Amino acid sequence: MKSDVATTSANAPIAPATELDAVDERRAAVAKLPDECPGHEHEEQAIELPSTLRHPSSATGTKKLWRSMSELTDSPEFKELLDREFPKAASEWTDEVSRRNFMKIMGASLALAGVAACTRRPEEIIVPYVVPPEQVLPGRPLFFASTYTMEGLGRGIVVESHEGRPTKIEGNPDHPASLGAASAQIQASILSMYDPDRSQGLLRTGDNSTWDRFIGEILPKLDEVRANGGDGLRILMTPTASPTLDRQLKLLAQQYPAAKIHAYDPAGHTTGSTGAQAAFGQDVNTVYQIDKAKVVLSLDSNFFVDSAGSLAYAKQFIKGRKIREDNHDPKNMNRLYVVESTPTITGAMADHRERVKPSQIEAFARALLAKLGGPSADAMASNVLWLDALAADLKDNAGKAVVIPGEFQPPAVHALAHAINALIGAVGQTVYYTDPVFSTTTAGTIDSLVADANVGKVKLLFILGGNPVYDTPADLKFAAALENIAFKVRLGTYNDETSFLCHWHIPESHFLETWSDARAFDGTASIVQPLIAPLYDSRSIHAIFGVLTNERDLTDYQQVRKTWGAVADPATAQAKAFEVMWREALNKGVLPNTKFAAKSFTAKAVPAGPAGGKSGLEVVFRPDPNILDGRFSNNGWLQELPKPLTKLTWDNVIFISPNKAKELDIPQFDKFDDAWGYHVQLSANGAAITGPAWVVPGHPDDSVTVFLGYGRGRTGVIATNVGFNVNPIRSIANPWMASGADIKKVDGRLRLACTQTHQLMKGAGPRDLIRVNPIADYEKAKHGPYGPPAEHHGDESHGAAPHGEAHAAPVPHGEAKAEAHPVDPKTLGGTADTPMAAKAKRSVALTLYNKQMPSDPPYDQTSNQWAMSIDNNACIGCNACVVACQSENNIPIVGKTEVIFGREMHWLRIDTYYGGDDINKVDGPYFQPLPCMHCEAAPCEVVCPVEATQHDHEGLNVMTYNRCVGTKYCSNNCPYKVRRFNFFRYKDDQNESIKLMRNPNVSIRTRGIMEKCTFCIQRISAARIEAKKHGGEGGDGIRGGTSFGKVEGEHTPLTACQQSCPTDAIVFGSLTDPKAEVVKLKSEPTDYALLAELNTRPRTTYLGRFTNPNPAIGNG
Amino acid sequence: MAQIFHPSMNTVAKATIIGGVLFAAALGALGSIVDRSPYVTQQGVIREQPIPFSHTHHVKGVGIDCRYCHTGVEESGFAGLPSTKTCMTCHSQIYRDAPMLKPVHDSWEKNKPIEWNRVHNLADYVYFDHSIHVNKGVGCNTCHGPVDEMRITWQHSTLQMDWCLSCHRDPSKFIRPKDEIFNLAYDPKKKAKDLEVSPAELQATLLKDYHIRTDGQLTNCSICHR
Repeated sequence: MKSDVATTSANAPIAPATELDAVDERRAAVAKLPDECPGHEHEEQAIELPSTLRHPSSATGTKKLWRSMSELTDSPEFKELLDREFPKAASEWTDEVSRRNFMKIMGASLALAGVAACTRRPEEIIVPYVVPPEQVLPGRPLFFASTYTMEGLGRGIVVESHEGRPTKIEGNPDHPASLGAASAQIQASILSMYDPDRSQGLLRTGDNSTWDRFIGEILPKLDEVRANGGDGLRILMTPTASPTLDRQLKLLAQQYPAAKIHAYDPAGHTTGSTGAQAAFGQDVNTVYQIDKAKVVLSLDSNFFVDSAGSLAYAKQFIKGRKIREDNHDPKNMNRLYVVESTPTITGAMADHRERVKPSQIEAFARALLAKLGGPSADAMASNVLWLDALAADLKDNAGKAVVIPGEFQPPAVHALAHAINALIGAVGQTVYYTDPVFSTTTAGTIDSLVADANVGKVKLLFILGGNPVYDTPADLKFAAALENIAFKVRLGTYNDETSFLCHWHIPESHFLETWSDARAFDGTASIVQPLIAPLYDSRSIHAIFGVLTNERDLTDYQQVRKTWGAVADPATAQAKAFEVMWREALNKGVLPNTKFAAKSFTAKAVPAGPAGGKSGLEVVFRPDPNILDGRFSNNGWLQELPKPLTKLTWDNVIFISPNKAKELDIPQFDKFDDAWGYHVQLSANGAAITGPAWVVPGHPDDSVTVFLGYGRGRTGVIATNVGFNVNPIRSIANPWMASGADIKKVDGRLRLACTQTHQLMKGAGPRDLIRVNPIADYEKAKHGPYGPPAEHHGDESHGAAPHGEAHAAPVPHGEAKAEAHPVDPKTLGGTADTPMAAKAKRSVALTLYNKQMPSDPPYDQTSNQWAMSIDNNACIGCNACVVACQSENNIPIVGKTEVIFGREMHWLRIDTYYGGDDINKVDGPYFQPLPCMHCEAAPCEVVCPVEATQHDHEGLNVMTYNRCVGTKYCSNNCPYKVRRFNFFRYKDDQNESIKLMRNPNVSIRTRGIMEKCTFCIQRISAARIEAKKHGGEGGDGIRGGTSFGKVEGEHTPLTACQQSCPTDAIVFGSLTDPKAEVVKLKSEPTDYALLAELNTRPRTTYLGRFTNPNPAIGNG
Repeated sequence: MAQIFHPSMNTVAKATIIGGVLFAAALGALGSIVDRSPYVTQQGVIREQPIPFSHTHHVKGVGIDCRYCHTGVEESGFAGLPSTKTCMTCHSQIYRDAPMLKPVHDSWEKNKPIEWNRVHNLADYVYFDHSIHVNKGVGCNTCHGPVDEMRITWQHSTLQMDWCLSCHRDPSKFIRPKDEIFNLAYDPKKKAKDLEVSPAELQATLLKDYHIRTDGQLTNCSICHR
């Protein structure tokens, strides 16, 4: 079977003239199989589903949905994987132990198991404070507002602290750049602080040293430089929007007039300012207001993730896509066009997405500008088919449309976008301009630093942050330039490649250990407030500038307060007013009135374009979606986080299109289901790298994408020997793109850890796990693929009626039970005719037993009945929830080998589905977060031999870890595959620092224990206790709780995933709370349950996804 | 064929069978006894402390309220131990030179906390919360026993799950009015008499007033384990 496939693939004609698709060939090959083996046909028939359960595609003409290429082609490997919970051999005993020995060991373990239970309680000490810190009540966490600085820009955060240990980072709802959400990186940065591989002390040429010795050595050198007016002193840093740093930089410039400050941006988010230079002749900050836009065009911009206001922009965009029964008019829904050179999650949300090679982005923008009435002289040909329709749409929505240029695009594309925005009346409406937020003191570039160093102009260099020896393009030859500099000082978190080549390495304090400040994308300033004293002998960047500017006595705290107007004499009215302002700013996390006002700028003419388009293979360079430019290399959470779209962990790959794979003769799937990366050699800019290729549907044919951040030289244990370095083929002249590249297949392949085909639901494919419909079909689609629900339950005619979801397997006894337990639909927070009530009416029936649990409908109205609603239309697949869950619930990482076996521990996964039958023209991908469903009739509970998993009174499916004996039956029986088993002792109990990070309210699981999503039971428990403590009869009006412990309204706990979600896709609450948002959402007609036909009655349900294609173009 | 076994072997066989059963039962019983013994549970075991702190003196003698030192008991899951500063509120003035109190004064002067030996130590997978118990009518001495009689503190109860469940299954016997929580001499019969109700009526009223769930939710695994 396999050889057949391989042969056809190998023999496939490569000439582009033949339109024959390799995938189609495979499909043909597989389709032929029934003729070859007659038994196969029977098998096919045996598993054929009743007509009511068949995939709706046949009925409604919807395209096929699939998770991997082997599923698209119905490969036998995929079918096998679907049947297994873990890949073959992953769950088998592979050690060479005979059965006899095995029995001996097991017998002995059983005998000893009882003895082990009789252990004495360990003798522990208990240590109270000498003087208790203000506000600290042991056992109760405190929350502090602070700021996370990403690419120089601030994002407001709230940090949870337990007895002085920061344990979790959340978004600050009062900060405009986070609005309560936090990205995966922001949340994972807490792990970086506790990283045991962080550098822990100063190093002088590799030997341990002290701060005093550093001061002793550096001061004479600084005096020498100062005497020369600063000549020879250079600072290399990353762009900053910190007002305090800006103040210090200005002070430095005063004291050392001839010194130069160079800024470089390893993750490339400052092209906006060079673009603005091109458009306006000066640096201008662009702020989008996407919530005001009906039509959005992204010119290769992954604005959900990479833009300056990413979290806010994602929220604004999704606001226009919350499709509800009372708001499903296509006119109210926004439309997203994306033209991109590499698939991104923003492209996944697009209603119309076009893949073009990177050099064509500019051509497209020029063509669009010409279409809209701009200067047509330099219009370039663009092959995007829907250009006219897009231009018309933008014109029709003048003032309600916006064009967003890509963060990695050349200045010309930014200039073009500014010009288009001016033409379509976007300026002042959906986009406005302000003064630059970045410090403008950092005028030098890194190439000018290298040039100066090579001619001996640089005598003393401070490298503050970044890791230029690793993360700059190879043709810059930064390491070689360092040799020409007499004395080098490096401030960095790790003793990395750059520190190795410097005289002094000074450990940099983490942002949770130091005071600072930062401006956000709209200018709003906020304070970086430390949560803990530095764990190691580390310093902040402010302290280094303190040394440079003779302000060594000033602490970071004093420096920041000085920036914001602290005065020396505390008695003055000014000082008192400052203290009030300062306290409020710390409390709220935002400094008042610091947002920049909109300003108008006059655009220059758009610069003329290049003579013609480029030909040949192009390479796109992007920071890795998880570890960025390598700064998070040693962060295990981010390494093991399945990357959006590919679901790869622990490696970087070379993205190629399916056609390119065919051309290079790279198999698109292999026996282990899509998880082999075949090595290719990619050469560009006079150098070559070798790495595994990865076929990505939706990638342009004539380009490849590679990712930064891997193949590190000197780093911690996590990042060692992980991935390959792509910097050798980058060029400083054009760091985000290379043309004239060449790719060829070389020997060898690499087993990759891809979670895309892990934890497959048996329903994947044939049933509607994810519902996607155009908004125009709302009325038709809102009841799902099976039509509207049956009117009356228990009706005699149900057999003939169109089948509702729960009719899948009618059980006669169940029908009888339905009458025995009539449900009053009003108890469900709705009237008799709400769809939710109808649903509950149907779903209560199918049980053989009389036992009525409080969590069965009609629910016990005096208790909380927890439930979750996930809006597939709002999920952008950003992974913030996965890391939030990991951080909140002490979820360990397992490493690449274990991930390959399907043993990753994430309680929440993001299922990714592609749509369409043609691999070259796919829809989506569509994302679906999948936590535990908390089924009311949970299949896992009935098979547990020790009752370790049970249902509680509030409808939670709970795990009692200390009861679990690890049979894994529950996991086998879970149709959603949401249970995770500790095959080994994954928890890290070796590193003391990691222990400080753990959430003390969640058990640490050991080997042999099953675990899963708890709906954040620790948060529920805390809320319930508060409600019970403070609620009077019917609630005291302050906390909204009752003495029963029923938590209502705004006092409902937030789950960690819900809290971190930038688009509010996850809503959690109690079904018995009439005010709960979750009740409203579950009453939506588009609400549906996964695998509802199994009658598990999941408490987690989904809202269908809708697209808004332009009728002038058609369905994408 | 020669006789292989001597007839006395019949007795031996019977004795072995019965003895084996008895032995297994005895082993089981022993295990169960050991598991519930103070050796394992530490119930009633007096632990040496750096300072021989006497609750008898401070509670019964001086009359200090529980909450003066255990500040978190009404608001937090953890009742809390007094900081050195709390000790020093009195002991900066009285017994300043008592050798017994040297560790307190050393702690204060050197800013080093006192390391007490922990008396009550629940398993880590149990998430016990003091505040909800205290707010729902469970008095201190219900679990901690006659603290005011303890010259050196010991653990009054077994702290085993069996013991927890005895109340979680039927809380009525153990609850008292909220104003009696910190009264170590609370007598339910006397209270009922004062209120002119029968003890049973008092229990029923309290259960109702405090909305204590008797529908089995209190014995859900997830109430204590997560």
